[in-house]
Amino acid sequence: MKARTSRKKITGFLMILPLLIVFIGLTLYPFGYMIFMSFFRYSLASWEKPEFVGIDNYREVFRDRTARSSVDFTLLLLVTAVPLEILLGIGIAFLFRDSLGEKVFRSVLLIPMMVPAVVAGIAWKMLYNFEFGPINYFLTLLGGEKISWLGTQFFSRLGVILIDVWQWTPFVFLVIYAGLQSIPRDVVEASLVDGARGFTALRYVELPLLRPLIWVVLIIRVIDALKLFDIVYMVTFGGPGSATHSYSFYIYKVGVSFGWDIGYASALSILLLIAITILTNLLFRFLRFRETLEL
Amino acid sequence: MNWVWRSIKGILITAVLFFFLFPVYWLVTTAFKKSEAWFSWPPSLVVFQPTWENFLGSEGEFFGSTTTAIATITPYLRNSIAVALCVALFSTVIAACASYAISRFRVGGMGFVSWIISIRMLPPIASALPLYVVFSRLRLVNTWWALIAAHLVFTIPFSVWILLTFFNEIPRELDEAAYVDGANTWQTFRRVVLPLSVPGLAAVATLAFIQSWGEFLMALVLTTGKEAQTLPIYLGRFITGWRIAWGPLAAAGLVTMIPVILFSLLMQRYLLRGLTFGAVKG
Repeated sequence: MKARTSRKKITGFLMILPLLIVFIGLTLYPFGYMIFMSFFRYSLASWEKPEFVGIDNYREVFRDRTARSSVDFTLLLLVTAVPLEILLGIGIAFLFRDSLGEKVFRSVLLIPMMVPAVVAGIAWKMLYNFEFGPINYFLTLLGGEKISWLGTQFFSRLGVILIDVWQWTPFVFLVIYAGLQSIPRDVVEASLVDGARGFTALRYVELPLLRPLIWVVLIIRVIDALKLFDIVYMVTFGGPGSATHSYSFYIYKVGVSFGWDIGYASALSILLLIAITILTNLLFRFLRFRETLEL
Repeated sequence: MNWVWRSIKGILITAVLFFFLFPVYWLVTTAFKKSEAWFSWPPSLVVFQPTWENFLGSEGEFFGSTTTAIATITPYLRNSIAVALCVALFSTVIAACASYAISRFRVGGMGFVSWIISIRMLPPIASALPLYVVFSRLRLVNTWWALIAAHLVFTIPFSVWILLTFFNEIPRELDEAAYVDGANTWQTFRRVVLPLSVPGLAAVATLAFIQSWGEFLMALVLTTGKEAQTLPIYLGRFITGWRIAWGPLAAAGLVTMIPVILFSLLMQRYLLRGLTFGAVKG
């Protein structure tokens, strides 16, 4: 019996081996390299050998104005786009529930989330076009002025936030909607028998049941918002000036398009990683592993 | 009062659908617009005479409209298909083995599972740079292999979570029965469990395909020419011109979008499981 369990262990280990190789080679090694490089001055664009500079790269982050503004913009996303997505997603889930054609609506709302971000970027860039864009057309129909969506700091930031809301509200909606379906009918009915009316049942019975799920979605959204890149690249390219540099976009600029400064980009990445690791650990509290894994 | 409430609800639903579908509608219609309709005021909201010229190419009226989407798209399309197919295949095989081991033998336990999730959370920009350095030493930059490897990092965690929930639903008694009949672990996995999980495997492969298909940042950093660049990079380059040829761009966008939409509609149940780490069964 003992021989069999140990053989099973070996087989089990062999089965996860390919995954281990991929992950160690492609994540652990690069991150080790990055932590190392974040203490060096090193640019791929020059021929100079890496030079040890201690924590200079990290100090530079706090002095760097553009880094500061990219952090500001990313935080702005977190406090505007993400809460809006959560609220809208929950609202839409309750709105669509029990309405005619809910199945169709559910499938249709999958589209914004699944369209490759690059393609979504093209669509929105056309919509935001100053001279010929349909959004400005609708605005003039309503008697407003044309807005230079991608030309001013305020509107380009608003523009990116709007796209993010468009892309990710459906995700929140789908998760909450699936969660609603899994609430047993009799729980809600029991509360109705106890005298709860429509909104009371919703507020005191269904929402509390959904709470863990809402936390899961919220944290996933926060983490993904920290990584925003594609939309910014396609629609605004960080502009005007550095108004819509997201943090990831700024790392890209430092590390790739402006001079391949690996040392400084590594320091910036490490800071992002720290933030994401903290958030991921928070997420673990709300995921019910034991149920999924039957541990 | 009931009808008041109902009509408010109707209006709200219409508004929601309009907001979420209009950008897609605009992209699709622009792909079929003649070049004079790309820039027109008022914008043409409805296409009365759809045309294929954005796809097939034609003698354009102004400079820039002669290079059309399909004419130059083929190498990128080929790269996208090759990379996404390999990613789908490798990611499914690797994830299937790993999730079976986790589901049946609890290899690594909670710590291991947490680690897999944290890899899904990694910011791609942070791994793109070191990977670029590694691959440039191995002379793999601008090859399919660099992209395939990079894409595996984020498709595998997703696949593992879908397959975990899937394998857990297959009763363990079946495995036991196979053992009693003298099968070893590997045989049980291949002959008993895998055939039962074909729908799950198909879902995982399809979703890995579309993740790789639409991925932008890794492809942007790790490829430099049309030998390995994928469709999203093609679209990204297209958009940086002083006067963008909207029609062909939208047409190319449509080509990029269609497989993704089709596949994700087919696999929507599993999609949610993967995205929420099994928190939602979908």
